[in-house]
Order: sequence, then structure tokens, then C-alpha cells
Amino acid sequence: MPGVVRPVSLKREGDGLKIEWNDGVTTFTTWRQLRANCPCASCIEDRAKPPDPFRVLTPQEVAAGAPEPVQMKPVGFYAYQITWNDGHSTGIYPVDKLRQLSKEIQ
Amino acid sequence: MNPGQPPKQPIPGVKHVIAVASGKGGVGKSTVAANLALALRMTGQAVGLMDADIYGPSVPIMFGLGTVDPQTTPFPLHKHGLRLMSMGFMVDPNQAVIWRGPKVAQAVQAFLNQIPWGPLDYLIIDLPPGTGDAQLTLSQSAPLTGAVIVTTPQDVSLIDARKGVRMFQEVRVPVLGVIENMSYFVGDDGKRYDIFGAGGGQKLAAEVGVPFLGELPIDPRVAQCGDSGEPIVRKYPDSPVAQAYLALASTVMATAGQSPGEALPEVQL
Repeated sequence: MPGVVRPVSLKREGDGLKIEWNDGVTTFTTWRQLRANCPCASCIEDRAKPPDPFRVLTPQEVAAGAPEPVQMKPVGFYAYQITWNDGHSTGIYPVDKLRQLSKEIQ
Repeated sequence: MNPGQPPKQPIPGVKHVIAVASGKGGVGKSTVAANLALALRMTGQAVGLMDADIYGPSVPIMFGLGTVDPQTTPFPLHKHGLRLMSMGFMVDPNQAVIWRGPKVAQAVQAFLNQIPWGPLDYLIIDLPPGTGDAQLTLSQSAPLTGAVIVTTPQDVSLIDARKGVRMFQEVRVPVLGVIENMSYFVGDDGKRYDIFGAGGGQKLAAEVGVPFLGELPIDPRVAQCGDSGEPIVRKYPDSPVAQAYLALASTVMATAGQSPGEALPEVQL
């Protein structure tokens, strides 16, 4: 589709994701930032609630440590689905959202 | 996409997958899908028609078919030179399919991946109205070449068709164009009557920046042919409606070749 910004390559770099786009821009975002902005319905709902100071981490979350992707796969022509190391996998990140969550780098 | 759902992959042996959609019900999606499929067939293409309307399948009646025993009859069924699949081949027409969304997604997925479609030049998918489970599953897991949006001329139809176009744009499936059904009626006096208003489809196409694929006139024979199992393109190939469908088929063939959806690159983790 002409005139649509799309990724040309996506690569893990350090603690995040480096994306080269078809408009010549290169961006970077951390996994932590992506995980914190997971677009799935339950994460959106969780973020809308007031923070619970007594929330106990699940054993899986403790074992996982810092967020890391186990898998990141294209979905259709418009998004990527990330499976995280804590088992969470319902977030589908539209390409536009990835661009919006990333910062331009040189 | 449900976790564990298979990723988008080409359907073996199928060159182009075209969705026929509209936000609104009752605009003639199934009629357009059936006649477009037959018009493509008449130009010598190998064509399949998949009825993704799980709750209200129309393909069986339009092709004069009923339920079959899946144990003894392999899918897809063959009629008028097309390969066909529909929920209506498996469920008695008097029985309602009362399913929640995930089951619909599963059925659409099974139709796409478990039916031996190929080799085909075109697989036409007749979508249900709306922008819900069937549409989303298809956008996520079928390698769509593009979508044809069906509308009728009046505003109440355009408002929903616009949503249909927006959905495909959002999921980055190329919209091949807007086709206006039930555009006008030519009376015995030879005069054109714009029963549902005029110019709506053209207005929508211009507004959302996609090609306008043409107008399909009202002809009572369209409904008669649909009900009797032989769509008008095949039964009355010289009628103005059939000619309009043949023109639509050539436009679809021309645009499908130019605008394949662009697959996203894999991530190097």
C-alpha cells in the first residue's frame, strides 16, 4: 500500500528492539516499554485501575525477571504478536503503535 | 488472534484471496460474491468461493445445494465450475448456529486451512456483515490480496460501508474498490430510476481514496436466479447486470495483480 509507513527490519539490540522503517527512519524501544504498554484488553484494564500497593508478584513473574520476548511474530499485514518470558502473549502491537512507542535514533 | 492460532500463511495453491465485504447487511454481498466468482470463472480462471457467514450462510441456496454428509462427501463441493465451502453444507437450514465469537473464528480458520482449495487463481470470500470475529480472523490469518466493499447508494448503507473500509485500512489489507449494488432500475419505458438515491458508492470511494468499481443495476431476475441456484451471470450472461459483473471481474483481475498485500518482515530476536 503506497504511502504507508512499514518496518523494513526488526532486530533485538541490547534490552530492546531496533526497527528500520521504509521512510528511512531508525527507531529503538526497550522491551520494558513495550511490555508496559501491552495493548491487550486485560493489560489495558489493569492500567486503568489504581495501582495496588499490596500486589504480590506471581511465581512466574518472579522467575521471569525483566521482560524479554520469547517470540515476536507478524500478524496479518498490520501488527506483531509478542510472547513474553512470563508467558503473556495476548498483546498484538499494530505497526503504528510500535512506531509510536519507539524513539528515533541516528 | 487467539494464542496458539496458526500464523498467517499462504493457502496452498491459491494465488489470490479476495474478500467481499461491507459493514452493512442486506446490500447483496453474497449475490456479488457468487456472481463475481462465476464471472471470474467465465473468463477461464480457477475459482473457489468460501462462505464465511457462519450464522447466515447463503452459498448453498445460491448454488442449489443442501447439506451433505462430511463423512462421505469431501469438501470443497463443486458446482458450476466453482469450488464451494459453506457452513450451510453441514447444518440443516432450519437449525440456527448459536455460537460465540471464538467458535466463529475457529470455523473460518478451518475453512481456510483445512479445505484442500488449490490449485486456484482466485478464492473469493463472502464475509458476514460487520467488523467482528470473521473479518478480524481473516485479516489476521489469510493472505488477503484485497477486499471489495459492497454498498447500496443510500446513506444508511454508506455509513456502515465506510466502517468496513476503515477496518481493512486499519489492518492494512488493500481495498480494491467500492462496488455499488442496487444502483438503479431501468423501467419498461427505458428510463433510469434511482430508487435508493444516486452516487453514494462513488462518493464513498472518493472520500476514502479507493477506486470506484461500478454500479450494478436492480433486476428482479438477480433474486430469482439466486433463489433457484443458478446466479444471473451464468443464467443470463447477456443481461446488463451480468455484463456489469463481467466488467467487475476484469477490474478485479487487473487490480489484484497490482496490489498484493505486503507481508511484514520477520523479527530477528
